[in-house]
Amino acid sequence: MKKVIVTVLANDRPGILASVTEAVFQEGGNLDQVSQTLLETQFAGLFIATLTKDISVEELQTKLRKILSPQGMDVLVKPIDEPDTIKNIPSEPFVITCFGPDRKGLVAEITAILARHQVNVTNLRAMFEGGNDPSRNLMVYEVDIPASADTAVLSEDLRTRAAELSLVINIQHRNIFESITRI
Amino acid sequence: MIHDREILTILGMLNNEHLDVRTVTLGVNLFDCVSDDLGRLCANIERKIGNLAANLVPLCNRIGEKYGIQVVNKRISVSPIANIAAPFGPKGMVAVAHTLDRIAREVNVDFVGGFTALVEKGIARGDDALIAALPQALAETERVCASVNVASTREGINMDAILRMSHAIKEAAALTADKDGLACAKLCVFANIPQDIPFMAGAYLGIGEADAVINVGVSGPGVVKKAIDRALEADPNMDLGDIAECIKRTAAKVTRIGELIGREVASELGIPFGVVDLSLAPTPTAGDSVGEIFQSLGLISIGSPGSTAALAMLNDAVKKGGAFASSHVGGLSGAFIPVSEDLNIAEAVSKGFLTIEKLEAMTAVCSVGLDMVAIPGDTSVETLAGIIADEMAIGMINAKTTACRLIPVPGKKAGDMAHFGGLLGFANIINVHNATAQGSFVTKGGRIPAPIHSLKN
Repeated sequence: MKKVIVTVLANDRPGILASVTEAVFQEGGNLDQVSQTLLETQFAGLFIATLTKDISVEELQTKLRKILSPQGMDVLVKPIDEPDTIKNIPSEPFVITCFGPDRKGLVAEITAILARHQVNVTNLRAMFEGGNDPSRNLMVYEVDIPASADTAVLSEDLRTRAAELSLVINIQHRNIFESITRI
Repeated sequence: MIHDREILTILGMLNNEHLDVRTVTLGVNLFDCVSDDLGRLCANIERKIGNLAANLVPLCNRIGEKYGIQVVNKRISVSPIANIAAPFGPKGMVAVAHTLDRIAREVNVDFVGGFTALVEKGIARGDDALIAALPQALAETERVCASVNVASTREGINMDAILRMSHAIKEAAALTADKDGLACAKLCVFANIPQDIPFMAGAYLGIGEADAVINVGVSGPGVVKKAIDRALEADPNMDLGDIAECIKRTAAKVTRIGELIGREVASELGIPFGVVDLSLAPTPTAGDSVGEIFQSLGLISIGSPGSTAALAMLNDAVKKGGAFASSHVGGLSGAFIPVSEDLNIAEAVSKGFLTIEKLEAMTAVCSVGLDMVAIPGDTSVETLAGIIADEMAIGMINAKTTACRLIPVPGKKAGDMAHFGGLLGFANIINVHNATAQGSFVTKGGRIPAPIHSLKN
């Protein structure tokens, strides 16, 4: 059966999830996973569904847009047909945190280094309130570092760039946070 | 997903509040090294420790880097040398001490503990030789630590041993007079010594332990102080029950870090994990002081009235937090109040808030006892023995560990400064009443019988 990912963007308000899930259900989609987040006033939702009806991705997108666009939602539907390769790479979960003065391109700088070392970002939260107060400008990357990566070189690359950007960077195994906070 | 607040709280503990894994201690059983030939014994010891400990320091550094938590000290504890080298006299014991010192340098650990005798009930031939060898062994080595257990709740107090130890302390101080009696900083006299302490100078590997084991000591007086400060800032009306709860929760977090890292070190070395010892052990760094916790609790200084009650609360809350966080909490677990290693406590002595009598009272409710206490160099052997006997009595009657690490600083008197350097810090020499008195109580010898509650079985 075909799997699709439905992406929805909208100004946040009550009832978005109800409308989207009802529409997907009506059009023959069985939800596998949902993730939603709010950034400032904006809602973003990702819905992975398995299609139980014989309907093309284009048709599904057209139908969902017809229902949801009048309610102020932008909808994009894409097929998921890539094999799940990333999960098969042995890796260790780390948490990288950066604080420091705000400037343009911070996320791009850090993620470029991570990409170069084949590090996969599984979760990123970034908050930039501006100014030089480090606590107002924070990036938290949850990442999977491949077992084959040279962690010493990766750490050095991150620390060197962070120092050039006046960022305070911490790189720690995820277990340390799990161990303390999850009983 | 880990919540940002959790991440920030933990980063704060690590980066700003001096949370670290204070020590990873590899315990090595040396009984299979025993030989009737001193050279063979030393070679066996060198080979066994060398094999087990070769990778200890780089491994601890790598795991510390992985978790972003420094493992500050890497150490080795061994089976009591008085038993291992029992056939040999004092010279042989000194030779073993040199062997241990050499191994410690080779594998780059800070200290090796276990130059130890257990004499609470009687002094055997090997114990006698080890005690006789103590001054020379400690003066001539850099990294060897010694401990002698002279009392227990089950067996009473061996007063002969206490007198012998008092002589040994004075002699060790004299041999290192140019370093303010530094040798004594590596020597502890114990009552009820635990078999699995990771902290020096008392660490040794007990006879009931595994062939090799990793014990971990975690500390965090700075973390506890900051937790109390934050809680009181949020709610200035918190009562002591609420503050104890706050300390307990903080202690639980700290303990879990120790266990995580200890288990990983043990697993990588392929040997069992023993215990995590959560003790609030300070360093001579501002913000890493047990004494400062007393001020956060509202006392003018450690040593002022109320200090014993505050310490009892602190020690109990730390133990409760540790017990919740790990099933294998051991060692001492509680609060250390060493004088020279804690800036705030050293200052409390110099300002007169803290006397040796108040320290002794506080040791009835804390971990260990009179720790790193510098006393006048002319303190007589008998007075020294009296101080040790008093401390041992507190341990014996209360079924707890107590210890004395006393440093009679040669040529210096109360009010002078003693400098030991590094982690050992400095201390204002504390006044000892009747320092030169020649009482006869401690010279009567024999054994103070065990208390009635030792008869439980």
